[in-house]
Amino acid sequence: MLHLKSHNLLIQKTLSEAIEANSNGTPLTLDRIVSDFDYTIFHISNQEGNKTILLLSIKTKAWVSIQKIDANNGLLPYLQSKYQPFAGISVSQSAEPGYDFTLVLDLASLTNESVVESSLLKTAILSFPFQLAFQESFELSKLPAPEDGSSIDSQKLYNIQNRDDEQFFIKASNDRVTVIFETIFQDETDKILGKVFLQEFVDARKRNRSIQSAPQVLVSNEPPLELQSFTSSRNPQNDASRRFITFVLFPRHFQTAELQHMSISQLTLFRNYFHYHIKCSKAYMHSRMRYRVDSFVKVLNRAKLDEDKDGLENDNQSTRRTITGRKMVY
Amino acid sequence: MSQSLRPYLNAVRYSLEAALTLRNFSSQEVERHNRPEVEVPNTSAELLLQPMHVSRNENEQVLIESSVNSVRVSIKVKQADEIEQILVHKFTRFLEQRAEAFQILRREPIQDFSISFLITNKHTETLKTDKLIDFIIEFMEEVDKEISEMKLFLNARARFVAEAYLGEFVY
Amino acid sequence: MEDWRRIDIDAFDPEARLRPEDLVPNYGTTITLSELQPKISQLRSLASSGDMSSAIQLATSEPPYSADEQTKHQYFLAVLEALAQTRQTDMAKVVKSLDRAQKDVLVKYIYKGMSLPEGKKQGGILLAWFENLTQDSGVNPIVHYISDRRTV
Repeated sequence: MLHLKSHNLLIQKTLSEAIEANSNGTPLTLDRIVSDFDYTIFHISNQEGNKTILLLSIKTKAWVSIQKIDANNGLLPYLQSKYQPFAGISVSQSAEPGYDFTLVLDLASLTNESVVESSLLKTAILSFPFQLAFQESFELSKLPAPEDGSSIDSQKLYNIQNRDDEQFFIKASNDRVTVIFETIFQDETDKILGKVFLQEFVDARKRNRSIQSAPQVLVSNEPPLELQSFTSSRNPQNDASRRFITFVLFPRHFQTAELQHMSISQLTLFRNYFHYHIKCSKAYMHSRMRYRVDSFVKVLNRAKLDEDKDGLENDNQSTRRTITGRKMVY
Repeated sequence: MSQSLRPYLNAVRYSLEAALTLRNFSSQEVERHNRPEVEVPNTSAELLLQPMHVSRNENEQVLIESSVNSVRVSIKVKQADEIEQILVHKFTRFLEQRAEAFQILRREPIQDFSISFLITNKHTETLKTDKLIDFIIEFMEEVDKEISEMKLFLNARARFVAEAYLGEFVY
Repeated sequence: MEDWRRIDIDAFDPEARLRPEDLVPNYGTTITLSELQPKISQLRSLASSGDMSSAIQLATSEPPYSADEQTKHQYFLAVLEALAQTRQTDMAKVVKSLDRAQKDVLVKYIYKGMSLPEGKKQGGILLAWFENLTQDSGVNPIVHYISDRRTV
């Protein structure tokens, strides 16, 4: 379990089960809630009166901020076009109440590919601002490059609020796309372990030649220059443990649609991956300490006197009692 | 064992040997009480003995406070940086929460130290004193080793995790 | 006198409780810093001339038990200097030349050194002294140390 997967396994399983049952002629009655990272909730249920049609709804924290990004309201058409090519998936015009977005799945015509694709719904939604930024970067790169070698930056800063007090930003330039994560650490230990991990992220590229083509990573405690124009409703309480992690994507990371997809699914999971491994290290240390305690107890037990030998010699001495049977206290 | 560690541990061993000569002693203050005199606020100065400091440097030291019926041994474990601080804190906390398994472990260290042991005459009567000293010496040795191993592990893991993540971007 | 049951009768008995001061023997006179100054300079000159054996001999005989804390500290710094200047290879020889009372004083200075920030910096040297001392006379000086109320 080194890498987190961008698809949701539980959705895939549920859908495969439903297809299987449907082809056997006994469609399942489903009403399942599946959760994912960053407070994302999926709801899988039958369409009313028709068990062969499933509704897959998603509710995610990032939805509101992603919707705001595009003034032309391009999110829904984008998702529509994304799911168009896959058999059995259609976009519902109105989302299920309490959810942000709903896909209608026809069990009879769902293919394996469409199952995988629908389990990637969260990534698909999050990929929208990335796609906009990549697009913008392509357009900027067509402009004549400035004489002094500086880069042309986009005026837009995409802000995606994907957790309560954590967010990430995307900014396009003619020669790169910058992704900045803002994360907070819940406790002191996480903060210090996080510092070790982040330092390794920064150094990894310099040290290991084989991953030199990976995006450049920068870490800072203060908002980087790109975010200076951005004023947010950050909770000042968390400021001390706030970290900014910048990924600089070069065109080689988003040249083709396939590369884009890979980069996006990695980046959207960065925060989860990072915090997940901090927790893993803590768990490992815990089990290690448990083992240590046992070995220390063993050493201490060597000091114990031999029970039976000692018992014979001191029997009447160690259990002196009064006539009523109470222990003698001296 | 490294050259500089040996005299330190030897000094602790000798000091403990001298200090662990305890006897049963009922409280002079409270009738029918028998309490470790080193722990209670004491109005009888004659029950307390001279404290012994053994220090290797500012960051590694042992304080042995002895009294007529109890000895308190406090150890300050080396903490070179904030990672080691966290690790030492976590580790000693972990041990203290399991204090009942250790008998002689104090649930709270005294101020400025990482971990404290309280050895009373009950312990020296039911346990072999020399093995008890062995335990404390071994503990001091192992704790240092454990902390540095955990730190190495943490760095290695962080490196591996970072490289694995960034490796995904190499197409 | 209605609450006579609660009267702390021990408070009326001067011998019931001993305060730390009561345990320190009565020295009669106190040595002041100016009285001690010649000894400190003698110690320094012996240490700088390299005659460590005599320096330590001098340091460990007739320590200023009766002086106040500040004077003791001044004297201690001079002793620490002498201890720190001794080569590790000479320590065993020096320890051998001391008599029992002097060894008891030496162990007092070693423990005092390790409890003070000035001495903690010299931890390695003090531990080396400690090792030589215990190799020579075992646990005896330490037992003397913990029960001796005369501090250096």
